Amino acid sequence: MLSARELDRYKRQILLFGEEGQERLKRSRIFIAGAGGLGCPISIYLAVAGVGMITIADQDTVEQTNLNRQVLHSDSDIGKKKTVSAVEKLRKINPDITVKGIDRTIDKTNVQRLVGSADGIVDALDNFPTRYLLNRAAIRKGIPLFHGAIRGLYGQATTIIPGMTPCMACLFPKAPPAEVFPVVGVTPGIIGMIQATEVIKYLVRDGRLLTGRLLIWDGLEAHAEEITVERNPACPVCGRPENRKNKGKDV
Amino acid sequence: MTAKLRFFARFRELLGTDILVPVREGVTISDLVRSAVSGNEGGYAAIFDENGNFREFVILMRNGKRIERQDTKNTPVQDGDEIAIFPPVAGG
Repeated sequence: MLSARELDRYKRQILLFGEEGQERLKRSRIFIAGAGGLGCPISIYLAVAGVGMITIADQDTVEQTNLNRQVLHSDSDIGKKKTVSAVEKLRKINPDITVKGIDRTIDKTNVQRLVGSADGIVDALDNFPTRYLLNRAAIRKGIPLFHGAIRGLYGQATTIIPGMTPCMACLFPKAPPAEVFPVVGVTPGIIGMIQATEVIKYLVRDGRLLTGRLLIWDGLEAHAEEITVERNPACPVCGRPENRKNKGKDV
Repeated sequence: MTAKLRFFARFRELLGTDILVPVREGVTISDLVRSAVSGNEGGYAAIFDENGNFREFVILMRNGKRIERQDTKNTPVQDGDEIAIFPPVAGG
């Protein structure tokens, strides 16, 4: 049940989703992996939209070099754990929701437990090995995974619905090489907004999700395009066991 | 006969957005891309490994449909084909 204050706070989006949609947002639990360039804008907009329970996981500490893009953190947060800084800001941004920080590195021993019974998992990570772990957890638990990644002025996003769409391992069977990637804050802003929009659409059951399509953003050209993507029947993660060609130790 | 090669993200910075290339009868996707980018050292090294194979993470599409790396060696290019070459990005 929405309070009088919530009805007022969300008045303009209730025009879009109705009270029922807003109730759905309020009842939802979203797990955000990463409180960095993508995780900051995503969590801000999911918080203001009224997603009832936001869990944000990151083990890093705020550094000066983060501040060109990680918009939840500021100079006075340098040295603080990112989760502490993020939770503090998000609670201020919307005191009517619950925000929880998990100050842990996501690894194969804890990923299932950390994700818990979330309604959606947001990939706001900065590396593929952890993305693959998150993907396995999402597929195993049947939880949608909202993927985004960036480099420089380029980005990509897609929505993964287990059993229906290609998974991360179908899409990216091999990780691109690890690097200290260049980035300007607007790029995770744009890609993060696509991910957050997908989460909201999924939760309120509105619109057409970015499923089976990989959106590619080119900020230099101010151009977005999409490529159709298909499931890999032999995928080591989401393919039928009898079709799997290998155990997929990389993914 | 011609085909269009389309590059994305970092590949675009190195090689440009699109290249229209003449297609020889029976040439494979792998050979066509290799010869088209061979004059560009940085572009070539970004896409191909030291053995001349597409790097493992490179995503290739032919007319909007994904094509596996191993299949590029025996798939002939047709007139008017559009080959998209895309490096996934990893940052967040």
